[in-house]
Amino acid sequence: MKSKLRTVAMLAVVLLALILLTAVGGNYYAHLLALVFTNVILAASLRLSLMCGQLNIGHSAFMSVGAYTSALLAKNLGVPFELALLSGAALAMIVGVAMGYPSLRLRGVYFAMVTVAFVEAIRLIVQIWVSLTRGMSGLSGIPKPSLLGMVLVTKPDQCYLALGLMVVTLLILYKLEYSRLGLIWKSIGMADNLALSLGVNVAAYKLLAFALGCFFAGVAGAFYAHFVRFLFPPTFDFLMATNILVYNYVGGRGHFWGPIVGAAFLSWLPEIFRGSEATRQYETIFFSITMLLTILFLPGGLITLPGKLTDLCRRRTEGVSSPSSAVVLPGQRVAVHGNPEG
Amino acid sequence: MTFALLIQSMVIGLSLGSTYILMALGLTLMFGMMHIINFAHGAVYMLGAFVIYYVFAQWGAAYWIAFFLAMLLLGAFGFVIERCIYRPIKGGVEPTLVALIALTTFLQAMGYPVFGTLDKHVPTVFHGMYSILGVGISAERLMIIPVAGVLVLGLYLFINKTKMGAAMRAIEQDKEAAALQGVNVHVVNALAFGVGFALAAASGALMAPIFKLDPMMGEQPLLKAFIIIILGGLGSIPGAILGGLILGQIDSIVATVMGLEPAFLLSFVFIILLLLFKPTGLFGHEV
Amino acid sequence: MPLLEAQNLTKYFGGLAAVNRVDLAVEEGEIVGLIGPNGAGKTTCFNLLSGFLPPTAGTITFHGQPVTGLKPHHIVARGLVRTFQHTTLFQDMTVLQNVLMGLHLHSQRGLGQVLCSRRSFPQHEIDRCYAVLAFTGLVELADQLAKSLPHGHQRTLGIAMALAVRPRLLMLDEPVTGMNLDESLRVMQLVKTIRDRGTTILLVEHNMKAVMGTCERVVVLNFGQKLAEGTPAAVSSNPDVIAAYLGTGVTHA
Repeated sequence: MKSKLRTVAMLAVVLLALILLTAVGGNYYAHLLALVFTNVILAASLRLSLMCGQLNIGHSAFMSVGAYTSALLAKNLGVPFELALLSGAALAMIVGVAMGYPSLRLRGVYFAMVTVAFVEAIRLIVQIWVSLTRGMSGLSGIPKPSLLGMVLVTKPDQCYLALGLMVVTLLILYKLEYSRLGLIWKSIGMADNLALSLGVNVAAYKLLAFALGCFFAGVAGAFYAHFVRFLFPPTFDFLMATNILVYNYVGGRGHFWGPIVGAAFLSWLPEIFRGSEATRQYETIFFSITMLLTILFLPGGLITLPGKLTDLCRRRTEGVSSPSSAVVLPGQRVAVHGNPEG
Repeated sequence: MTFALLIQSMVIGLSLGSTYILMALGLTLMFGMMHIINFAHGAVYMLGAFVIYYVFAQWGAAYWIAFFLAMLLLGAFGFVIERCIYRPIKGGVEPTLVALIALTTFLQAMGYPVFGTLDKHVPTVFHGMYSILGVGISAERLMIIPVAGVLVLGLYLFINKTKMGAAMRAIEQDKEAAALQGVNVHVVNALAFGVGFALAAASGALMAPIFKLDPMMGEQPLLKAFIIIILGGLGSIPGAILGGLILGQIDSIVATVMGLEPAFLLSFVFIILLLLFKPTGLFGHEV
Repeated sequence: MPLLEAQNLTKYFGGLAAVNRVDLAVEEGEIVGLIGPNGAGKTTCFNLLSGFLPPTAGTITFHGQPVTGLKPHHIVARGLVRTFQHTTLFQDMTVLQNVLMGLHLHSQRGLGQVLCSRRSFPQHEIDRCYAVLAFTGLVELADQLAKSLPHGHQRTLGIAMALAVRPRLLMLDEPVTGMNLDESLRVMQLVKTIRDRGTTILLVEHNMKAVMGTCERVVVLNFGQKLAEGTPAAVSSNPDVIAAYLGTGVTHA
């Protein structure tokens, strides 16, 4: 109970800090933070597929569907923002189900290749369907987000919206991961044949994880559309999909907080290089070096860094390495202490 | 479409297909042996083109020397990557894929500061036009076909007639058995990386005089290579060759009729259907 | 009527018949052994019976209902559960959680799954898990990670998980492979107790002592075909069976 309170307190502090940062940071930081929040939603929702052992490099396709749907509904039909966002997410989910249903029996690399094909196919459809999406000219004039009729005019206001969306998404995903459903998903990711042999309808659960992931990708896409107010098809490409995957890997694949840490760190850190024009081009270089170093030297992801450091300190003081994952006594609550390396 | 246009499209398709084949061969070889998809293949293509730019266009060396150098340098780079990235990564295929993605991002990002942002062109190497059945094809494009053919033949001989090639085939069939027979899996894997990278570099080098150079130029060829290896069957070399030829024709003929983007879309939709109904492609092995 | 019946069961991989026109019947309450040299098609049979592979031909009936071509999880729902030849566990979960997964079919479903927090699974489920662990002798290991267990315990855990599903018929694929004498005796005794409590058993095993000491009836496969069938004593003295295992001494071209 005590550690749970501590975690909630820490989170409240972080949340407060983010709100304050948005309030005082001005337009520039508000813009940046909003994009970071969007990336967190994308990374955390991709995790659902990854938990089930599906290497999904297609997330940007569904972000695209959410973005264009919401944008077009709001711009051309005057649909209020909340409804447009939900519609965008719903359509993203529907497309996800349509594409996922036949594909989920593919495994490993084959599934990954299908998701890559999805991304490119959707990008090309958007590019070709010029009458609807304006294709490569880009879709502009997308209305700003609004809540209950009130338009969110300023960047900080829109950033609060992003923060809200992120918090709601994370709460839902957290609840899902730590429920029995999450246990089932993880069992599928660990040994899907075994799960099948115990009566788990593996295909249905995989589809559920995939579809929910697509829903939240749609949410992120819809927000993005109304925030940046200009959509350009190549934005939602294979590269973006791989970035979202990388957030998960660099942050840590074995833990709920992994993608969040990864997305926050990798979205935010290049900021350091944004000082002058000369150093700006080094952003991406830094990004990719970080990726490489993390994968090579910290395979569990950044989330394992505190653990490794404490181990290192402990080893120095005690001369022996600490035992892994705490042992819960029988009869107590059953919590999953997955090995972060998993 | 007139008959002349069709012939022209087909020959261009053959030329395109040849470069695609070179990309796809390396990719399928690496998959067959190590079960990884080399996401960095596009970046290697790009680097091959840039070697031509610097050595041939800027420095003034003979084209063939530059070409050979491109293959050599990037082949060596392949060895380095196998040693520094592929081998140290435990934990299977997925972290390796992500590491290769990181490598690609790095190489492409490095491209801008190192190569600069101005447009780069490589001057035509083979001048003149040839006339086939009444239509003109540039010598530049035509040359690609025999060069690629030579490389493919070279690869075939290497895989089937040399000891190293036999080692590769052994590892592809059963890694453990090969290791037990005394095959040094690390060395042969490094060789696969080297050969794969060299072929990708050759592809980029051949296309350098035809397209504008920029650090992202490898993305499209990479995606094409993906399509081909799925069509041909992951791990199958004959599949990569046939797949490359087919896609070259599709890209050329269908693109002329429908436009580039619809043609590309068509190939992706086709691949999705293929993966859903016959993931092993034309010649792939049952997984 | 037999609990499990397979007729004309056939599976071709390309041109090779891994299982060729096999008739198999298991009566309720029996312990039947499925034996044969390596490559005889035993695990393929298991895969066919449990729905992991679709048969090329033949029918499978379980508890009077046809189950040919059903998906594995549907077959499990009817009470036919199998274990795996190679140790397959949820490695990063605790022993308790592994067994908990076995309760999937008997647990809360639908919205209950989402609302049920992992930190407070229903007590009756936890109790049932502990009961299964106690029965299989793994209680002390309940909170250890599956991957930290020694081999013998891992294979026993596989059986425990299958038991949690409450099978009518339990198919065990090489339950004592890799175990020493003590462990294998213990496990085979466990198998007998499982049967005595009402679960029918079909098992594949190479360990002849284990098979002969436990099974009431034995079916012998060779090259995908049924070679012989009968009591352990009868089968072990069958010259065809002996030849299959030891070879006939004829050199192949």
